[in-house]
Amino acid sequence: MTDVLSCTRCASPLERGDFRCAICSLPTPVPATDATATTEVAAAVMRCQGCGAAVAYDVKVAAPKCAFCGAVTALETPDDPLEQAEAYLAFRVDPEQAKAALRQWLSGLGWFRPPDLRSAAIVDKLEPLWWAGWAFDAGVTVSWAADSNAGAGRSAWAPHAGTFALELSNVLVSASRGLTEAECEALAPGYNLADVSEAPEPDSRARVEQFEVQRSAARATIARALTNVAARDAAKHVPGSNIRKLSVAVVPERMSTRRLGFPAYVLAYRYGDAVYRAIVHGQNPQFVVGKAPWSWARIVMIVVAAIAAIGLVAAIVAFAS
Amino acid sequence: MGASAAAIDSGQGASLSLRCDGCGAQIHVAVGLRTAKCPYCASPAVLERPADPSRPDPTFVLGFVVTKERALEQARAWIRRPLFAPGAFRRAVPSDVRGLYLPAYLYTAVANADYDAQIGENYTVVETYTTTDSKGNVVTRTRTKTVTEWRPLSGSWAAYVDDIVVTASAGLPNAELEQVEPFDMRALQRFSPTAISGWIAEDPSLTKEQCLTLARTETEAAIGKRLAGHMPGDSHRALEYRWKTQHEDLELIMLPVWVLAVKYAADQPPVRLVVNGQTGLVGGRAPLSWIKVGVSIALALAAIIAAVLFAGSK
Ligand SMILES: [Zn+2]
Repeated sequence: MTDVLSCTRCASPLERGDFRCAICSLPTPVPATDATATTEVAAAVMRCQGCGAAVAYDVKVAAPKCAFCGAVTALETPDDPLEQAEAYLAFRVDPEQAKAALRQWLSGLGWFRPPDLRSAAIVDKLEPLWWAGWAFDAGVTVSWAADSNAGAGRSAWAPHAGTFALELSNVLVSASRGLTEAECEALAPGYNLADVSEAPEPDSRARVEQFEVQRSAARATIARALTNVAARDAAKHVPGSNIRKLSVAVVPERMSTRRLGFPAYVLAYRYGDAVYRAIVHGQNPQFVVGKAPWSWARIVMIVVAAIAAIGLVAAIVAFAS
Repeated sequence: MGASAAAIDSGQGASLSLRCDGCGAQIHVAVGLRTAKCPYCASPAVLERPADPSRPDPTFVLGFVVTKERALEQARAWIRRPLFAPGAFRRAVPSDVRGLYLPAYLYTAVANADYDAQIGENYTVVETYTTTDSKGNVVTRTRTKTVTEWRPLSGSWAAYVDDIVVTASAGLPNAELEQVEPFDMRALQRFSPTAISGWIAEDPSLTKEQCLTLARTETEAAIGKRLAGHMPGDSHRALEYRWKTQHEDLELIMLPVWVLAVKYAADQPPVRLVVNGQTGLVGGRAPLSWIKVGVSIALALAAIIAAVLFAGSK
């Protein structure tokens, strides 16, 4: 195992190829160069590695370029690779269990769904998938300010402010294109991040979703997610029942992020002529999220009954007066 | 790399006499510059020096993206814009275009602030008033009025401060650099002599302490701006804050800027324009034509007087 360097300001682990800490912007230690140190002042002409002619920085190629042979010297820039999963969580639900979980879910959706939904639904397609996402840990100092109804005077709103420390662990952030934000959020609590499997074989039956974002863009997404989580938690610290204009400032420390593949089943099922989509968790079949048909007959029945009841009450009131 | 011998120029002490790596001729490097060009063979040279803590090498450099042609174009468009500038200025052609790497400090820190403010919370009241309607009758009407209730708020705030950039050159004041900011720090490159080869590059001429003071002044303003955005309520006033920074860090960087001179009148000093070498943003102060300003004020006054007379005569 290689030593992971940590930022001296915010204690977050540093990643190879970064010039500055991704969390607090402190420059990372400069790797020792083996270039011989100069002992006297000299006017050095930068030479082309290829032909030995002088090299000067050229705006058009945005790099040093040899005026003689045209060779371009690359300058050292921070790495910004495409994100790659570093681990895959294990599938603990097999396809048959996934189908059973779907039927279980369909039968528990309530009275406004068709009564034969569970038995009449036909699974058209079942696709195992590792969706891409991040999980991060961090200690965050949160400063918040907001208006709420607590302590309100003549106006309905009164200002409040506070700070608190927030310990975040295993916060999931979706990088998925196949699954919606809401679907990922619904599945997130069911994952056991310690239950990691071998990297999937190339001929694996499950589809492996790629991240399709670069490191810099990923960090922007994760930073937004951290602020959102902090704001959600801050809302609990605001006194009163009605809140508006909540603003948070965050100082994250010890922030580490893992790039993971999360197992799930994407199912398509048919009821009548329509096709619906549902996602079953790959580790815990209790977590199912998706769309299901409504029973219009039952909804109309209730509406008619409600109107009749209102009419009846109105009639009684009119009769009594 | 460089095999030349160094000798401090004994005459003025204003330049360094070094042997050109390319042709062996003597070249003079002005004190305070990092780069030179041999007048005989045109080889661009970069000064190499033994490590010296009082004169650190830059950590990062931002490369030029804007070409000389585009910088000139941007400058010309900028010159034509100011309405109150003398006509000669708006027709002037910028000259003396030089691309240079400006030494600057990049400052980052953790900022903490304790603030007090008055927060305005609005509410509406319905009030009755009497007025005369179109038929001349006195009538009572109601209208809703927005009233602001002021409530005190005190709190603490903490955040990272990053990307505060201040000049390290006495030649280009910080206010002038601020006009062409921001620079995109995501494009930072590790400093290497090849990155500035062929361009004018300066050594810092302000001390690190002077730059730290500049950075803290900018930080104070940045904190104030962010605190103003942090305040709840419909409005706020009397925002006051005490602040401190921890874990401060200053890094010497090189910023790409084009500097141009605009000569528009024989009796006036040329106006200096600065163009951001990364974004093309132009900064500078256009001269005012006092005749144009005077005429505009006179016209505005005349319009006001005419309006008052017209209203009075009705
Ligand atoms: Zn850090």
